[in-house]
Amino acid sequence: MAASAAITAAIRLSNPLTSSSASSSSSSSSFSSSISPFNFNNFASPVTPVKSFSVNCTLTREPVPAAPVSMESDPTGWQRPDTFGRYGKFGGKYVPETLMYALSELETAFHSLSNDEKFQAELAGILKDYVGRESPLYFAERLSEHYKRPNGEGPDIYLKREDLNHTGAHKINNAVAQTLLAKRLGKNRIIAETGAGQHGVATATVCARFGLQCIVYMGAQDMERQALNVFRMRLLGAEVRAVHSGTATLKDATSEAIRDWVTNVETTHYILGSVAGPHPYPMMVREFHAVIGKETRKQALEKWGGKPDVLVACVGGGSNAMGLFHEFINEKDVRLIGVEAAGFGLDSGKHAATLTRGEVGVLHGAMSYLLQDEDGQIVEPHSISAGLDYPGVGPEHSFLKDKGRAEYYSVTDEEALEAFKRLSQLEGIIPALETSHALAYLEKLCPTLPNGTKVVVNCSGRGDKDVHTAIKHLQV
Amino acid sequence: MACNIKALSLNHQIVSSARNLTVDRKMGTASAVSVPVFPDTVTKTTTLSIKNPQSTEKLLTKTVDGKEVYSQGKFGRFGGKFVPETLISCLGKLEAEFNLVLHDSEFQEELAIALRDYVGRETPLYFAQRLTNHYKNSKGEGPEIYLKREDLNHVGAHKINNTIAQAMIAKRMGRKSIVAATGAGQHGVATAAACAKLSLECTIFMGSADMEKQASNVLLMKLLGAKVEPVEGTFKDASSQAIREWVGNLETSYHLIGTVVGPHPCPTMVREFQSVIGKETRRQAMEKWGGKPDILVACVGSGSNALGLFHEFIKDEDVRLIGVEAGGFGLDSGKHAATLARGDVGVYHGAMSYLLQDEEGQILGPHSIGVGLEYPGVGPEVSFLKETGRAEFYSATDKEAIDAYRRLCQLEGIFPALEASHALAFLEKLCPSLANGTKVVVNISGRGDKDADIVFQYEADRLSGLMA
Repeated sequence: MAASAAITAAIRLSNPLTSSSASSSSSSSSFSSSISPFNFNNFASPVTPVKSFSVNCTLTREPVPAAPVSMESDPTGWQRPDTFGRYGKFGGKYVPETLMYALSELETAFHSLSNDEKFQAELAGILKDYVGRESPLYFAERLSEHYKRPNGEGPDIYLKREDLNHTGAHKINNAVAQTLLAKRLGKNRIIAETGAGQHGVATATVCARFGLQCIVYMGAQDMERQALNVFRMRLLGAEVRAVHSGTATLKDATSEAIRDWVTNVETTHYILGSVAGPHPYPMMVREFHAVIGKETRKQALEKWGGKPDVLVACVGGGSNAMGLFHEFINEKDVRLIGVEAAGFGLDSGKHAATLTRGEVGVLHGAMSYLLQDEDGQIVEPHSISAGLDYPGVGPEHSFLKDKGRAEYYSVTDEEALEAFKRLSQLEGIIPALETSHALAYLEKLCPTLPNGTKVVVNCSGRGDKDVHTAIKHLQV
Repeated sequence: MACNIKALSLNHQIVSSARNLTVDRKMGTASAVSVPVFPDTVTKTTTLSIKNPQSTEKLLTKTVDGKEVYSQGKFGRFGGKFVPETLISCLGKLEAEFNLVLHDSEFQEELAIALRDYVGRETPLYFAQRLTNHYKNSKGEGPEIYLKREDLNHVGAHKINNTIAQAMIAKRMGRKSIVAATGAGQHGVATAAACAKLSLECTIFMGSADMEKQASNVLLMKLLGAKVEPVEGTFKDASSQAIREWVGNLETSYHLIGTVVGPHPCPTMVREFQSVIGKETRRQAMEKWGGKPDILVACVGSGSNALGLFHEFIKDEDVRLIGVEAGGFGLDSGKHAATLARGDVGVYHGAMSYLLQDEEGQILGPHSIGVGLEYPGVGPEVSFLKETGRAEFYSATDKEAIDAYRRLCQLEGIFPALEASHALAFLEKLCPSLANGTKVVVNISGRGDKDADIVFQYEADRLSGLMA
């Protein structure tokens, strides 16, 4: 089927009543996917049937290579998002009525707090003294040397050190801000779901800091495999509730968390960990991570008096990438590159390369690319890194891909492990396995770049948590 | 987190002993000590247990022409260079190099950039609101607790401040490989990281008992490209082995000492590189409340994080300095590492200082749940601070440390290293005695996610209630 043939078809929606959302609880990794948990499996209230949707879209069967952004398509004119929470055709609010009020309340609060000086000052203070911002923009001299060609030319590689944040990843930027927002809304009860435990620990951390009640839902099977993370969450004062239904893993924990939220929506805030889910979450989470890109602009100016030329980040749900990219989206001379997980390889069927191999549908409350089969059932993804093990992706990434503003590639488990080892040994920085995907792409990217190109890679997390996984696979 | 380079440029001048390579064996008015015994254990002689502290000059350093002078690395009667002749010239070269880098603005700038961009300095001075509330009495009065966040450094502890600087010195001196000894593994990881960054070969010696307890740290070192050599025993044995290894390769290798012990210039050097902690604290305190801290609290193993925080304020007599040692199972149990509380003066690893020794001068094996505090000695400068009464020293038991660990997790969402938990534990006794609004700064010398499984095991019984 010719890729250029326009096919107008009804969008294949993942049927919420029968779909099984991906279980991304990889057993070996201790990093849970920070996904929106909107699995509607257990809701009694019916969702509007497919036929009544009148949105049409163009589908192609093959992955589309990044098209150069045309002159008419000026990013400054794009609405990201529009008033309905859409990024082009992506995004939106595909949720039951019971949650609509909570979402609009959240959106109103978010907008008013954006202009609230006191709130912003309090948030800035916490980011500085508690989280440890600003994170450095580090010139990776030995890594840059590694990519120099025989004539001594090559790009300059800089690492944005989100690994140095409190709790060791970028996640806390958003967790802290959402908790502060919840407090402002008078909600003293925070819930989250977790697979391997990392998002649970980050949520429990901020709840301890602010003295809020914290409940983390975790599949009983995951709890057994991740006993240490369960213990950490309890040490932080969180209540970890075992979920025994279904396969007792992430997707079931997700359903339970939703049930809780629907029941307790007046007192409870749901901490969503990524730029996925229904509006306003993708926008909110992006804004809370945008500090990454803002700092990078300032630091780039200080260091070399200019802007970065290329930004590279790993993409699971897409939060760390949006955090870095957002500041620069309107500047077309800054190239944006997202790197997904190709797992065992794109053709193996065991990967999480949503933007490369996925198709458009609705998952967890938003329209976006997702890994689905012909019946619209979610395909179980795989990646060595749990944080990238997500069958969907944030709607804004889907938008940026279709517009050709950002390019998306993927990297296998093996390539990621090599990159993990490479950075550890060349710079003495052990990156998270998620981050290692972004670093792995440098192998393909750097040979194509002119001398002195300034590349900034988002070092989204540290890899202490991945040491046992890595040792199993690497010869060290 | 812009680093103030001026704050880092050290305006000290060291009287270089390179001109005079003979060891000064005079001990002041102390009883005569027999032959130097570095790096082996203390020789059997009862004259080493000096019970009567002499009165010594108040200040650590004399001032000559307004500049500070370190004479032969002595802190009162402590310190010195108790080493065999073979090492004297090497130490002399090191001292000369150290003196040079202190005044080399290019080196200082490079170090400042590494500390800022690689290590992640400056570390925040964080107001611990909930911990402060915990210590408020019924009238709502109590001290204000601030935490110096050394846990946020790259690789998670204060150790790297020193390893990155010394690795840079080693490179400058043309050395190709580094050897180091590590107890808990934190210094080993920090050394391995610095060596990877600076492209130096790295061999870390670690006691086999410690390797078992800190398996994660061993993995980290290996991933960073270092070789990890097991040594039978614990840190003190690993230390001795590292020195032996170094002595065999003096031209090409560099022994990277992790703490403020050893022969001169090591204690001074390590303290200088850690003193960035105190310098930042002074500035941050001024910004936050327009004054100085009233009390500084830090855990003491050999003393590097404590001296790093204290040094800046030693001359400020109105700033109270409190060090907290490891009380293990209790001071009377014999299973602890409270060197200053229960030790005697002797020579160990090249310096005169307090150490845990029996009546025959044999080193006693220390114990603490905070493995990084398990050192039977303590830095000579720390001994001096005790003797002159400039600093106060207490101890906290394993259980008190574990309780403090849990407390900080629950109140502030920060996992402190079990070592640092000893400092936090002492707040329980300290805070009720403090006036309202007293500014207390506690050095969180490292992060403790690595210690969660130690706490897990310790709490196995209590957990049965939690895990249900």
